[in-house]
Amino acid sequence: MSMNSIRNLSRRGFLNMSAAAGSSLLLPQGILSSALAAGPLPAVAEEEAVIGFGHVGPITDEGWTWSHHQGLLAVKEAFPKLKTTLEVENVPYSADATRTYRQFVSEGANMIFDTSSTGDFLHQVVKRAPEVAFMECNGHALMDNLGWYYLAHWYPTYVMGVAAGHLSKTGQLGYVASFPVASVYASTNAFLMGARTVNPDATLQTIVINSWFDPQAATQAGTALIDNGCDFLFGIMDEAGYLQVAEKRGVWAAMWNTDIRRYGPNAYVSSVIIDFKDFYVDQVGKRLAGTWTPGEHILPMGGGVDRDKWGQNVPEEVGKAADEVREKILGGWSPFVGELKDKDGKVRVEAGQKMTELELYNWDWSVDGVSGLES
Amino acid sequence: MFGSYRLQRLPSSHAGIALAARVAAIVIALLVAGIGIALAGMNPLNLGARVITASFGSAFGMEDLGVLIIPLILTGLAVAVAQQVGAWNIGAEGQFYAGAFAATAIGLFVPGEGPLILMLMFVAGMAGGAAWILVPTLARAYANVNELITTLLLNFVATLLVYYVSTGPWRDRSGMANSATPPLSTDVPSFWGIVHWGFPIAIGLAVLVAAVLAFSRWGYEVRLVGSNPSAAKYAGIPVRKHLIAVMLLSGGIAGIAGMLEIAGTVHRLQGGISNNFGYLGIMVAVLARGSPIGVIFSGALMALILNSGIILQTQGLTTSIVLAITGFILFLTAIGDELSYYRITREKA
Repeated sequence: MSMNSIRNLSRRGFLNMSAAAGSSLLLPQGILSSALAAGPLPAVAEEEAVIGFGHVGPITDEGWTWSHHQGLLAVKEAFPKLKTTLEVENVPYSADATRTYRQFVSEGANMIFDTSSTGDFLHQVVKRAPEVAFMECNGHALMDNLGWYYLAHWYPTYVMGVAAGHLSKTGQLGYVASFPVASVYASTNAFLMGARTVNPDATLQTIVINSWFDPQAATQAGTALIDNGCDFLFGIMDEAGYLQVAEKRGVWAAMWNTDIRRYGPNAYVSSVIIDFKDFYVDQVGKRLAGTWTPGEHILPMGGGVDRDKWGQNVPEEVGKAADEVREKILGGWSPFVGELKDKDGKVRVEAGQKMTELELYNWDWSVDGVSGLES
Repeated sequence: MFGSYRLQRLPSSHAGIALAARVAAIVIALLVAGIGIALAGMNPLNLGARVITASFGSAFGMEDLGVLIIPLILTGLAVAVAQQVGAWNIGAEGQFYAGAFAATAIGLFVPGEGPLILMLMFVAGMAGGAAWILVPTLARAYANVNELITTLLLNFVATLLVYYVSTGPWRDRSGMANSATPPLSTDVPSFWGIVHWGFPIAIGLAVLVAAVLAFSRWGYEVRLVGSNPSAAKYAGIPVRKHLIAVMLLSGGIAGIAGMLEIAGTVHRLQGGISNNFGYLGIMVAVLARGSPIGVIFSGALMALILNSGIILQTQGLTTSIVLAITGFILFLTAIGDELSYYRITREKA
């Protein structure tokens, strides 16, 4: 992916662009850039079309994979005559992913969604199947038949960080991380930056568990963080493991993906709520109509990602204070403006400089106060 | 009147019966799986046909099998070789990672590319695997520490070491890959689709090891050590020396599997690359009854089973069912193997 192919636009800018480009206003998708040199793939009759989804976890996780499965159900509802939909759960981050996606191609898939960035393992298949449209969630590469999509989760995360700043007594926040990857850097940084607007001394301890779905490891990490003095847990897990720990230990927790407050009603603060349904329906529609081109999509807050309704124990004034920040962001304000220093004190974003959506998406360093991520 | 039948255990199993038991195990497992699938509301015959056409009916399917078979033959061979000298190498998984790790170090940090680097990576992979089994080997040879435990425990160390370097100091900083090293500069070239030269190397190694064991004096001595260490010692065979050499060879072969997987198939070092090949190698070796030539066939069978698993998943079966079928086949095979030591005799009244 050459950087020249990407137009760095402000959040507001790209919303305008997608509207101007004729995108339905019901689908406020942030389209950073689309269309490479190659023309769109030819149209496919709905009765002939095969759509494939590869998931990182089980669709019963009530979180990330469940949400993408809802997207597939929405596609089936919108296009009831589809010949087949293929869905594989627990696609590992290994050469088995390549085998799975090759099998999708063998089954005649016209469009394949990889809901968890399997990178090269997917790209090997993309190159061998030029007639198939591929979309990689949290991907980073753009090819003639491969685009990517993700969410601007850093905004609702920042909002929840503000709430954490109010709620945490010790100022020690804990984070259950999957891998030291861009989405985790963006998530940890945004969360602490939000918290520090309230408590400038707040810190964030991170534990990396090398998985997106490992309830046992997430539970252990949550326990260790609380033992270390954290009284607010956040993380980027596909399931509710550490919420149950927080409930049992009487500390706060914020989550990802869906409303899972019933696993810890007292501890629950909010979630990064995700919704890919409209996006998937739009993408499949374009593929069928023969207008799909590989694009880079970051769904904005309010258009695919948001914070969940505040938990029952979150004081009203805390929710209100955080929501004021949310309103400001929805109005076009960005909290991600320099001067920002990394954990070694080096200035990474100059004073007054605003980080672009792509910079936020590709964040690969920790802000001062975040510990535990290798950089 | 029925009491006159009795089971008799034979000193050695009958090869024909063992083979028949294997076939029966697979057929029974598939029948049971078919009934389960039918109960789940799907048509097992359609699914079976689907698996066969997808595996053998297209270049894509055959290529997938060709790639999958490489690490399975090699880890199976690693376990089978150790069995020849009477040792259980449960650590092929760790040696696989250690080999991949060492080969990656060459690929990332030694400048240049081409055949020379590839040779270096191959040697490094083998050395990495051998180094990973060195301590368990010496502990077994000099202190009689059970290698089952030591080789197994080192698997976790190697797995976590690879996770650490690929998400830490060696990680790709270009933003193009999650939790993996940058791509290696040198690849094992492919000769048919995605099937690379690891395929003939794996088969060649199995044949070579089998030939050395069968036809050389050294091989004869090793087999003697494996079947009767006391007799071997009495005959003046250097038992300890042979044990060390064969266990290091076993680790080295598993290391080569890791090197080929990295340089031929995956191209980046990262956690999870092994796909449990090290553990599956134990199954491959058991199915082959420890025969180095046999692992070529049991490795192929295992590749077919694993690939069928992927095909069945795209047909809507969950991973758990596929794993259960795989486990069931192996379970029945193990029973069949044991049964092949018995025969039913009828006593004269």
